[in-house]
Amino acid sequence: MKRNWLIAAIWVLLAVLVGCSSESRSVTMHKPGVYKGDSDELIAKSQQQQQVLNDRFKLVQTDR
Amino acid sequence: MARMKFLCDAERCIECNGCVTACNNEHDVPWGINRRHVVTLKDGEGGEKSVSVACMHCTDAPCAAVCPVDCFYTTPDGIVLHDKDLCIGCGYCFYACPFGAPQYPEENAFGARGKMDKCTFCAGGPLPDRSVEEYKKYGRNRIAEGKLPLCAEMCATKALLAGDGNVVSDIYIQRVNKRGGRPDTWGWATAYNFKADKETKP
Repeated sequence: MKRNWLIAAIWVLLAVLVGCSSESRSVTMHKPGVYKGDSDELIAKSQQQQQVLNDRFKLVQTDR
Repeated sequence: MARMKFLCDAERCIECNGCVTACNNEHDVPWGINRRHVVTLKDGEGGEKSVSVACMHCTDAPCAAVCPVDCFYTTPDGIVLHDKDLCIGCGYCFYACPFGAPQYPEENAFGARGKMDKCTFCAGGPLPDRSVEEYKKYGRNRIAEGKLPLCAEMCATKALLAGDGNVVSDIYIQRVNKRGGRPDTWGWATAYNFKADKETKP
């Protein structure tokens, strides 16, 4: 009887420990050649950023 | 659409490692990782040349081609970035990259590999721009701030250039024309014909 309680307690303890882990529970189903990560805000801005970055380049990196 | 590129002018690089320090400081990269490193050819001999190397943001990136979980993506302006939440730390990209760009932080005392870390062209990653989460995972997002990579911006001799590939190549062509040619320290001859008597004693 005591042994059964001990086994049950171990199971409960294991369940609690597993539940406390910080690992993400979501699963990403992989598909070859397809990026399934988060989208990057920068991609939408690329066109507008170009002129700003070119101006910055001329300001900072060209020979003086 | 322009493609963002790095170019290191070996005639100007003085091996000061300022770019490495600037990168490590700006992005607070994990211990043991250098997203950028300076390689010296003919060290201590005549004709010594140094070149600063990091992720070259390849147009057809081999790291992305071999990644088993496709964690890489390329922005419209050619910056190769990756999602650390998808990365499984397998190391394939490390073997595929000809520049040694992908790096792995040690996760624990037994040397277990963490998620891959590499140069982001100071463009962060797939998290809200300029957020704390983005900074912690990928480093500072200078591109979102309208700035270019710090390694190039602080290069004292302007050896390292980073920006629109067309503008960068124009500057380099002007420099080469002014000098009257490029040195033979590196290139095909160095890579494949390094033995002077190769023809007679292969």
